[in-house]
Amino acid sequence: MSTRTSSLLLMLPALLLLAAVFLYPLLRYSWLSLHASSVLTGLVPVPNGGANWGRLLDDARFWTEAGQTLRFALCSVALELVGGLALALLLNRPLRGRGPLRALTLLPWALPTTVMALGWRWILNDPHGPLNAALRSLGGSSYGFLSTPATTWFFVVLADVWKTMPFVALLLLAGLQTIPADLEEALRLEGANRLQILRRLTLPLLVPYISLAVLFRLAQALGVFDLIQVLTGGGPAGSTESLALYAYLNAMRFLDFGYASTVMLATFLLLLVSLGGGWLLLRRAGLERTSERPA
Amino acid sequence: MRLLVLLWSLGPLLWQLRTSMLRPEALVAPLLEGNPWTLANYQLVLSGDPPFWRYLGNSTLVGLATTVLTLLLAVPCAYGLHKERGPVRWGVGLALVAAAMFPTVLLFLALLEIARSFGLANNLLSLSLPYTALSLPLAVLLLRAAFADLPGELEDAARLEGLKLGQRLKHVLLPLLGPGLASTAILVFLASWNEYAIALTWISRNDLLTLPIAIARLGGGSVFTIPYGAFAAATVLGSLPLLLLVLLAQRSIVSGLTRGAVKG
Repeated sequence: MSTRTSSLLLMLPALLLLAAVFLYPLLRYSWLSLHASSVLTGLVPVPNGGANWGRLLDDARFWTEAGQTLRFALCSVALELVGGLALALLLNRPLRGRGPLRALTLLPWALPTTVMALGWRWILNDPHGPLNAALRSLGGSSYGFLSTPATTWFFVVLADVWKTMPFVALLLLAGLQTIPADLEEALRLEGANRLQILRRLTLPLLVPYISLAVLFRLAQALGVFDLIQVLTGGGPAGSTESLALYAYLNAMRFLDFGYASTVMLATFLLLLVSLGGGWLLLRRAGLERTSERPA
Repeated sequence: MRLLVLLWSLGPLLWQLRTSMLRPEALVAPLLEGNPWTLANYQLVLSGDPPFWRYLGNSTLVGLATTVLTLLLAVPCAYGLHKERGPVRWGVGLALVAAAMFPTVLLFLALLEIARSFGLANNLLSLSLPYTALSLPLAVLLLRAAFADLPGELEDAARLEGLKLGQRLKHVLLPLLGPGLASTAILVFLASWNEYAIALTWISRNDLLTLPIAIARLGGGSVFTIPYGAFAAATVLGSLPLLLLVLLAQRSIVSGLTRGAVKG
């Protein structure tokens, strides 16, 4: 047996399983999205032309939630990036107890999302949570962190940032560790201060890592589900409902599998478009940075 | 600075710990008399039906099964990918990255159909099948990077000695792959321990729930009726194994993720 066929054979079992779990659902949704399959049809798929897609175009709930999901993802990723960079810079410095510090900052990322979502639900509780207790002791009054439609989404972002920032920090830390210390030293000897070093050396070299972190996190955040289901259930008044939660409700609560498939596919397409846009932006930013760099 | 970072990372967890040890009345208003501290919340959670450790056991079982299965499939795949050249290498690599980024929740409906038609629902071992698939992309990418780090002459020498592929993998390459295998295994275990959407739809029997689902279910009622003390106790108990794992394997986790980022 030649090396080539054997390397293909070695990959085959894993690739087959991957195809069954990732590729099959996409094909199945494409097929189901062209069928009515709900309680009305006795859960038997009946072709209905493009009716599901027509319904999607007119579905105000879908489009509102597309906006909400995008807002959540963009804010969350932006905050994680800034916080994660600061954290990575700190964790890269030769500090005493750096190992345990890295482990402890990593902890929020390692815990199940539902565990920390319940924790945040208690922290944000109105009126018994510690945040409200702090507000009152400062002379304010209790605030409905999770019951004010206009602002609740921001606290969901906060909980998400708390959970996933360590992951971003770790990816950026990987990038920081590839930067030779003598480059930084050379710039310092030229009289550059820390901010200048960050702008002229560190950030340009980090661009690939930043891109990786942004694209990866953007994809995950656009599919946000468990955090929202446990923390707010999509409320108050649907103001934090995400597309993935809407798709889930369509399938599991309204038992409308045809439309649920349509929503999932549409979410996936939206994700592709967002990632493509993000990638183009990052590429342009990366090129500009490189051309700015001193020769 | 360090203190601020620790406060941000651990504050919410420490608050859970505090909540878990307070009497319910003490959560609502400061007690005027008596001792506000209690372990009753833990007793409540541990004596539930099924007792809380059952969920820990379920999650551990799925986690271990997933880790073993993932490594069994990922090691050969990573080796094949490492040896492969040209468009196949490029295409498979790209597909793996795409799969690694794919939000799991979007898969649940089709997977649920598969589970129903093959009778895979309500079975912890069959749950490890989709989990393995979800973990494979990252595992293969990490292990490919680990294979690439090994000196190529070593395998050539083993080949010249007449060792077959299986023997080379088993006796020469895998022993050297130790650290890479360890960090991959830990990341896979963590991901499977924490998975939500698929476990939520595949498992409906109360005694088979995994930890994240059990905890979410506890909190599923109305905000006013939630006995937060008991839930805090549940989250503390559910966090302890992970706390231990992260503290013990910190180096492995960090090196695993950073290598994945550098090479992937």
